[in-house]
Amino acid sequence: MNGLPILDISGLCKSYGAVRAVDGVDLHVDRGEICGLIGPNGSGKSTFFDCVTGLARPSAGAVKLDGQDITGWSLNDIAREGRMLRSFQKTVVFSALDIEENLVIAGQMFTFPGILSTFGIGAAARNRVAALRDRARELIKIAGLWDVRFQPAGKLSGGQQKLIQFASMLMPEPKLILLDEPMAGINPKLIERVVESIRLANTSFGVSFLIIEHNIDVVTSLCQRVVVLDQGRKLAEGMPGEIVQNQAVREAYLGG
Amino acid sequence: MTEIVREVTVTPAERTVAAGRDLRGPFGVALIALACIAPLFLGNYPLHAIIIALIFLLPAHGLNLLLGYTGLLSLAQAAFFGIGAYTSALLAVHFGTPFYVNFLAAGVVTGIIALPLGIPALRLRATSFVMCTLGFVIIGQAIAKNWISLTRGDMGLAGVPKPHFALGPASFTVSGTVGFYYLVLVIAALATLVVYLIVRSPAGRNMIAIRENETLAESVGIPTWHYKLVVFMISAAFAGFGGSLYAHYLTVVSPLTFQMYYSTTMLIIVLGGGAGTISGVIFGSLLFVGLTEALRVAPELRMIAYGFFLLGLVFWFPNGFAPLIGRFSSFLEKRK
Repeated sequence: MNGLPILDISGLCKSYGAVRAVDGVDLHVDRGEICGLIGPNGSGKSTFFDCVTGLARPSAGAVKLDGQDITGWSLNDIAREGRMLRSFQKTVVFSALDIEENLVIAGQMFTFPGILSTFGIGAAARNRVAALRDRARELIKIAGLWDVRFQPAGKLSGGQQKLIQFASMLMPEPKLILLDEPMAGINPKLIERVVESIRLANTSFGVSFLIIEHNIDVVTSLCQRVVVLDQGRKLAEGMPGEIVQNQAVREAYLGG
Repeated sequence: MTEIVREVTVTPAERTVAAGRDLRGPFGVALIALACIAPLFLGNYPLHAIIIALIFLLPAHGLNLLLGYTGLLSLAQAAFFGIGAYTSALLAVHFGTPFYVNFLAAGVVTGIIALPLGIPALRLRATSFVMCTLGFVIIGQAIAKNWISLTRGDMGLAGVPKPHFALGPASFTVSGTVGFYYLVLVIAALATLVVYLIVRSPAGRNMIAIRENETLAESVGIPTWHYKLVVFMISAAFAGFGGSLYAHYLTVVSPLTFQMYYSTTMLIIVLGGGAGTISGVIFGSLLFVGLTEALRVAPELRMIAYGFFLLGLVFWFPNGFAPLIGRFSSFLEKRK
């Protein structure tokens, strides 16, 4: 492995009219790192995510994934590459489908890269789908969702849906996952399970993470490095321990 | 528009398979056997009704791919149905080409015409898309009425020949109701098989993903825009094939082939039968076309009775009849 960061963002800006939602942020995620992104509400964290993952087009700046310039690519272009995936703040699953189908869909475009190949029938296509199912079942077991795997995903609790979403993102074997508030609105017991899943994906599958999270305990226990945004600018960066002590951060975010 | 099919959980049949019980095989075999011997005990008029139902099954299958599986409500099926009918009729009347050429051309031409129509239309969301597809039907009818040098306007094109097959020295014309019944039955069966294969392929799963949540589908790498366009074209081609059969069966086409009424009929077949299920759509086309024919006993009250029937359907079976079929088959299974 070379020493290049997996994700390297420089001078990223996003303006909506006169409002500068993101104002010249530099950020990098090293290979194998779990990096946290915190900041008060409205500090531009989600906009920043949107610009990096192609849901919004940055006004200025550059995004490099694995050394390749992906600035201005659409969400779909980036997702189809399968190297960087993201979750959404509001958990979304394919509600009418069961967990296994959800996961198979999430992995499908990487097994069948072309549109026409997805219409494939015959033994080759069946084998590829069977391989996807095997991987899906394995991940369902790891996520601890085996008992509910035939239920429509929409009928499950918010926490379970988060786990589905997380397992879905592991289907294409990405190098980097961006999580937007993975712990929001789930009970403490499930928080532990999500934290464990993230750790496991990080150590066993070698996935790097960039995580937006408000739960400061989770951030300090999980992340090796934390970046703080405030009003679209980078306020501070450092080890979780330092950040919690940082005076400016305490005033802006942690409430003194 | 996805709200329409939001409540349909994915094909109850699939879950049945997952649970290890499957009655579709025996049911299917019985149905096919019944269809094969139907002319033995049905008179010409009921057979005629079934032929119309099977012809309408093709555009309905297409609409089901679009609405039931991909979540796009389109009213353009009548436009594509009409384009298919006119393509076949014009080829047959002007060039005297054989039936299978006209039939294939109708599907291919309609599918290709759907491309330039789909590109702007699919950029619109929800209601705007529906209105746009409605426009296609009106434009189609206006062209058929007014491009008199080509379509002969309101006089229509008469004398479309009955299907004629020639293989070496042997030749055969499908002229009677029974003959046409078998022809349409074979084509409808093939179309159903094609839909089944599409739906069961990974592409079918991606279509369902788009129906469920387009943004999420995009974020897992599904090229949603291309999918919608391809499905729109396939669905149009299905309507085109249906239109071709219609032209060759009635031997006349007129601007009335481009009728809003046909689009709504196809929509009723899909929604009433059960969007997102294949068996539901087959059942729907037989039921709703059969019903309008059966109601001819009371011509004055026909459409009123039909309207009340639809009202009842919406109240008691908001998801169409497909869930009912599923419940019935699991009821049979439990009794075993």
